Amino acid sequence: MRLHLRERAARWALRRQGPDVLPVTLTRRRLYVLPTRAGLGFALLLFAMLIAGLNYANSLALFMTFLLGGFALVTLHQCHRNLLGIDVLGVGTMPTFAGRPGTLRISLGNPSGAARLCISAGPSRERAEETDVPALGTAHVEIEMPTSRRGVLRLERLELSTTHPFGLFRAWTWIHTPIELVVYPRPRGTRPMPSEGANRSGRLLRSGPGAEEWLGLREFRDGDSPRRVAWKAYARGAPLLVKEYGSGGSEIRIFSFDSLAGLDAEARLEQLARWVVEAEAHGESYGLELPGTTIEPGRGPQHRHRCLTALACHDSGGTTAHDAASA
Amino acid sequence: MTPRAPESNASRPVAWMCAAFAAGALLHVDRVPLWASVVALGACAWRYAAACRPLQLPGKYQRAALAIALLIAVLATFRTLNGLAAGSALLVVMGAVKTLETHRRRDRFIVIGAALFLLLAACLDRQSLLRAPLYLLHVWLCCTALAVTAHPKQGLDDRAAIALAGRCLLYALPLALLLFVTFPRLPGAFWALPRQDEAVTGLSDTMSPGSITQLSESSDPAFRVWFEGDPPPPEERYWRGPVLYDFDGYTWRRRRFVNFVETPLEFEGPAYRYRISLEPHFNYWWFVLDTVKEPPQGPARVRITPDRQLVSAAPVFEPTTYEAVSHTRTRALGPLSTLARRASTALPPNRNPRTLALARSLRERAGSDEAYVEAVLTLFRTGGFEYTLTPPRLDFDSVDDFLFNTRQGFCGHYASAFVTLMRAAGVPARVVTGYLGGEWNPVGGYYIVRQADAHAWSEVWLEGRGWTRVDPTAVVAPDRLRRGIIDLLETGSAPARIIRRTPWLARVSQSWDAVNAWWNTRVIGFDFRTQLDLLGRLGIEATDWRPLGWLLAGGLTAWVLWIGWRLGRSPAPAPVDRLARAYARLCARLARAGAPRAPHQGPLAYAEALCAANPELGARTRPLLERYAELRYGGTAGNEYEMKVTAFERDVARLKVR
Repeated sequence: MRLHLRERAARWALRRQGPDVLPVTLTRRRLYVLPTRAGLGFALLLFAMLIAGLNYANSLALFMTFLLGGFALVTLHQCHRNLLGIDVLGVGTMPTFAGRPGTLRISLGNPSGAARLCISAGPSRERAEETDVPALGTAHVEIEMPTSRRGVLRLERLELSTTHPFGLFRAWTWIHTPIELVVYPRPRGTRPMPSEGANRSGRLLRSGPGAEEWLGLREFRDGDSPRRVAWKAYARGAPLLVKEYGSGGSEIRIFSFDSLAGLDAEARLEQLARWVVEAEAHGESYGLELPGTTIEPGRGPQHRHRCLTALACHDSGGTTAHDAASA
Repeated sequence: MTPRAPESNASRPVAWMCAAFAAGALLHVDRVPLWASVVALGACAWRYAAACRPLQLPGKYQRAALAIALLIAVLATFRTLNGLAAGSALLVVMGAVKTLETHRRRDRFIVIGAALFLLLAACLDRQSLLRAPLYLLHVWLCCTALAVTAHPKQGLDDRAAIALAGRCLLYALPLALLLFVTFPRLPGAFWALPRQDEAVTGLSDTMSPGSITQLSESSDPAFRVWFEGDPPPPEERYWRGPVLYDFDGYTWRRRRFVNFVETPLEFEGPAYRYRISLEPHFNYWWFVLDTVKEPPQGPARVRITPDRQLVSAAPVFEPTTYEAVSHTRTRALGPLSTLARRASTALPPNRNPRTLALARSLRERAGSDEAYVEAVLTLFRTGGFEYTLTPPRLDFDSVDDFLFNTRQGFCGHYASAFVTLMRAAGVPARVVTGYLGGEWNPVGGYYIVRQADAHAWSEVWLEGRGWTRVDPTAVVAPDRLRRGIIDLLETGSAPARIIRRTPWLARVSQSWDAVNAWWNTRVIGFDFRTQLDLLGRLGIEATDWRPLGWLLAGGLTAWVLWIGWRLGRSPAPAPVDRLARAYARLCARLARAGAPRAPHQGPLAYAEALCAANPELGARTRPLLERYAELRYGGTAGNEYEMKVTAFERDVARLKVR
């Protein structure tokens, strides 16, 4: 019931505010404040004190009631101010395999001279993490998103809220920005990896054994040759990275959806995912053939992501994308 | 909301919660039984210890058993759960049990709420000026505990939480004062708060002179009186309280229901208008100067009984202020009714036989009632009677024993003996108790009447005059009329005597009493009449609540705007170091002088622009801006650099922009 109400309120806010494009600064217009349960309890307490004070014409009890009532109103403003002016700088997602949690990373900036404490951010109130944002600084919140099925996990909005400093009120805002978290198919299956040209003739190796192929960057480890350090990147402020070259896979494998006869579509995708993961781990080159999509052979993290994303998004007739509500 | 994981080991919020509750329990430490306080403080200590080190807290069943046992203990002590004292004790012990089961944030909120409820109970119990700061500190403590409890892991450290709670309360203070002054007050209580076992101070409605061997020398105030115009002379400052009719030979008692008809009165002499602020004495009667014509104007309903006592509808639990008009001389316009005559001539049979015999012989020798009164007074004056506050204990026939053996006593002895002698001779007489005198407080401009001023005198019915006050004590100790007992007998505790003899200490003591009087009448006794009075002083003539409502609405709006302006802004980025702050101050001052720095301008470009726009100002400002540029970008750290920054700060402060 409460979820339903909140959902409707969020949709109302979307109509009121319109969709957002990051980065977003939290302005007065988009902040909402309501008392928390503790706040309602506090109000009840104040009401009892007021009635008692009035009934017994007890001046001190009345004064204390008014003082605490004023205090509650001040905390409302404090709570509101704690969220006001915060910048939501960006939202990033880390892809994951179905069944494993994916990560949502929200970056918050505080352009003001006062620290913002206990800001909780997340796709919903239940799935949120708390952080402090220092004055003139930034802070990041990482939220683990459980996944169950492959596809693209779409979140409609983010919610930032705070009950700081006294827990009597909650100020919150919705940021209606589409967020997509790619969920790769679960890598599993027992079929052996097809060798080169199992389905169609593979191409010749493009290079001899001496000419190493650039694989990518990895973090510096003791013993790495200084000549391989990516000095240009380092000069730009990146950490110390090492250019990695491999001897290159000796084989080029093409993984084809159609070759996996006898399995249903999901199982095929899972098998393909497993092959991609293994081939990448072994440093081999691989390509992908799906109905309607073909990915030329290659390797490296980006290639792997491209292949796995293609598997995740493959439309096998059923639904492939699930939205935030199912998360 | 999802249930939060238990955080039993977060010791900081537990410590604050325990502190808040223990403070609440301590507010009641002298009102609840000792064991209840011990239970509360022990539970807080236990809970805190369990948060710091592995220590077992009681389980669910143990807690339930403890709660039931404590409930029974409270019931056994008070025989009821109704009433302030029992309610406070119950709240103290039940809150203590609740502290033992605080595992989640919600539980801690509840305990802090209980601590605030204890504050309410304390306010209902006592509102003295000395306790008010304690209550404020308690509120502050509870608010701090709230801040720590709301966000135990992150957020504020202890000092920041204390400062924040204090700041929020300060912001709330103007609103609290506004509401206090303008919020509509109700004229009376919907339901009464049962109280019992209160320490009864002041007069009771019985008097047994024989059993008292030491009279109260308490200098606690009984009430304070502000006269409009001239006060009555000291020998007429008789403050009437309970009237005692019934005598059993040893004890005088007040009649609960006076069933006889009042004789109409004619009021003579000057009328005295005054305001009395009565301290709580937990009884029903109010004190007024001698005889009032109309019931006083005050917060509660009060009636005048046929024997001219004032009896309120509710006991005086709070300081009570009322206004009255009195006359010290009256004349009866009719005869004494039969019932009243019977009540005021009755004596217990077969008691005090020697007194009865004495009365008969004296009455026979005197020609009239008036002469008889004089004869008895002469007996007191010349019969070797002595005024003392420490009389010997009296025999069963107390009047006989006093008149013929001990001959030492205070007002009660003389009034009792006098009325007995009168009644024995058939002259209607009654004992009146109350206070005599009053000490002038020049600071507050009022008379203070203390418990030690308690007095008893008598009234006799004389044909043609009606009830006439006769104070037999006055003939034994004439000085008693003009001086208070403490003053008269040089008694009282050593500090009290020192204060009375040292002028500046006496002045301090009077000032303190005046502040208390102000507190009682203006703060504790603040009601609808005082509200209108205050409005009148502000120049608003009001007869109903409407102007108050406008004032309330206007003030509330102003406060909300003020708070919104004060807190609603997002705080601006603070400059990071001293130099930058000094530069920011310089730029701000120049901006106020009409030459703001454009965002793209550095200090040197700004100096150029200033010189171009306002050569005179530019000439004075340029060296400073150049020094800033050098300090900022010259980049030499160290002692010398710090000194240069200090010099720069100083010169910025000294710069005259206009």
